[in-house]
Amino acid sequence: MAPITLDHVKKVYPNGFEALHGLDLHVDEGEFMVLVGPSGCGKTTALRMVAGLEDISGGTLRIGEKVMNDVSPKDRDIAMVFQNYALYPHMTVSENIGFALKLRKMPKDEIRRRVTDAAEVLGLTEWLDRKPGQLSGGQRQRVAMGRAIVREPSVFLMDEPLSNLDAKLRVQMRAEVLRIQRRLGVATLYVTHDQTEAMTMGDRVAVLRAGELQQCDSPQVLYDHPANLFVAAFIGSPAMNLFEGGLSADRRTLMIGDQHVAMPESVDAVRPGLRNYANKAVVVGIRPEHLVPATEGDPSVLDSKIDLVEALGSELLVHFAIDAKRVQAEGANEEAAEGLNAGQLEVHGEGVARLDPRADVKAGQRLRLAVDATRLHFFDPSSGAAIWD
Amino acid sequence: MSSSTAALGAPPRRRRSGGSLYFTAGILISAVFVLPLAWEVLRSFQPASAIISPPSLKSFSHLGVSNYRQLLTGQDDILRNVVNSLIVAIATSLLTSIVATLAGYGFGRFRFRGSGIAFAVVLVGFMVPFQAVLTPLFLELHYLHLLNSLIGLALFYTAFNLPFGVYVMRNTFLQVPRELVDAAKVDGASTMSTLTRVLRAIVMPGIATTFLYAFLFAWTEFLGALTFVTNGATYTLPVALSNVETNTYGSVNYGYLVAGAVIAMIPCIIVYVALQRYYVRGLVSGAVKG
Repeated sequence: MAPITLDHVKKVYPNGFEALHGLDLHVDEGEFMVLVGPSGCGKTTALRMVAGLEDISGGTLRIGEKVMNDVSPKDRDIAMVFQNYALYPHMTVSENIGFALKLRKMPKDEIRRRVTDAAEVLGLTEWLDRKPGQLSGGQRQRVAMGRAIVREPSVFLMDEPLSNLDAKLRVQMRAEVLRIQRRLGVATLYVTHDQTEAMTMGDRVAVLRAGELQQCDSPQVLYDHPANLFVAAFIGSPAMNLFEGGLSADRRTLMIGDQHVAMPESVDAVRPGLRNYANKAVVVGIRPEHLVPATEGDPSVLDSKIDLVEALGSELLVHFAIDAKRVQAEGANEEAAEGLNAGQLEVHGEGVARLDPRADVKAGQRLRLAVDATRLHFFDPSSGAAIWD
Repeated sequence: MSSSTAALGAPPRRRRSGGSLYFTAGILISAVFVLPLAWEVLRSFQPASAIISPPSLKSFSHLGVSNYRQLLTGQDDILRNVVNSLIVAIATSLLTSIVATLAGYGFGRFRFRGSGIAFAVVLVGFMVPFQAVLTPLFLELHYLHLLNSLIGLALFYTAFNLPFGVYVMRNTFLQVPRELVDAAKVDGASTMSTLTRVLRAIVMPGIATTFLYAFLFAWTEFLGALTFVTNGATYTLPVALSNVETNTYGSVNYGYLVAGAVIAMIPCIIVYVALQRYYVRGLVSGAVKG
């Protein structure tokens, strides 16, 4: 067991492309750290550098106290689970799990004991003599896990290990991976592009974008206090609604499109930084669950038109349109941002509200949505940084 | 869904009729290839005089093994040539497979400066027919004291089989998922043990192709063997057969020719059948999610 420390770690490819611009990250002993970000953000590169599968172009990597920059993968005392499992097709399950131990010339009895133990933990005992080709996706995934845990390494590295499983199995395996990690108490670096996986599994989550760390904190802090537009848009499902807005000169009114939302003084206590934005443009963020059908006398109200209602049983996802410009952080939502070069995307004001399943709403209706102004998020339109102090 | 369509009955019936069509076509096409071979085997049991006369049912009444007996026990000592050919063919195919596997591993799995140019140079070997460089090769082997030597012949065959072998092996290694090699690295395998313990089984179809190709080439090659070997005791089978088939005045003994061809076929068939299982596709199945 050992902590992992990345100190200004850089990756520059021979063609000059810089995949990581000096990443600082510390994973404590026993901590489950999730690296999350859209594809191409450098998260897998970072993981492969920790594994020793990619050279480190600059900075220092430590596992425990030891600098690992030029140490070969086998001497780093790490175990890695790959996205595609990477099982050896000609070996049985037990040979796959025990292969690393065999290479270390461990006595046969000891190998057998460890393989049996690992198989028991993972529920693979009856499949030990099968070959990977005869196993289901979930079982192969378990074998890949078994191969990692049998080594009793000081560090676990996992590269999107659940992304090839179907949705139901993925949820089940999430819990299983966590259970195993807790039991072994090994520092774990887990890469995923799935923010739900990141939120549900990580002790802390590091959000990466274009080779730069955006924010690294516990899932709840990321959700409640995103450091910038990108994190705000990336973390949370459905994503935060982001609109172009502006504050009045006295900062008591927020303009979102042609709508005027009252800003009580209590907002100043939560967001003192807004004092610098009187009469200026801001990006306004509203979490879908912070929108509720308005009642008479609600001070801060958005007037919207319902486009679509998705009933999920436990909640309603109401897609609405308002007369305002929507803002989207580049890369945070890959489908929408596809084909865009840089900067921010403007789409006409669509948003999502998460309402009580018994709310009486239908597509085509007009709906007045009340917002709690103290729970609004504000971002600087040019830098994208969150406005707090 | 499968159970409901099965209950309807239509798809299985269609499959059955499709299957019989498939088998009929398969048998007919196989017959096209097998009949000449069977014909030759049959003819090899006829006396030489019967072979050259027009085929008739009557000519098959005197079948015997005299052709074989004379070929194998006669003064020509063809068995020694069979052994020579086996030595050359096995040495060639082993050497080619080993060198091509190592080279293919290098070209397919490692990035190094000049690898593209080096590979292009290897492929140039493809373009040069060895017949065109027979004279310089003769001189080279002469200076190396490798004329009239089975080792010299095997080295020559290996050199001309390597371009194809390296090409096949490089492509085979390129198809190996990168993660499999990474997993082996993390598990603690060295570069060589990754090859011998993890990748060997996966690239076996490529090795089998290279081996078979080199074996067939070395087993059947005539011109090089005729040029570089001038001593009867060192002749390989193709050269020896051409000698015994043709007598002093240039007439051909068809009994020897046909029986010799059948003998020459046997090792090829054995090697092919032995390696055939490696051609079975899907060896990598289960390694990674496809």
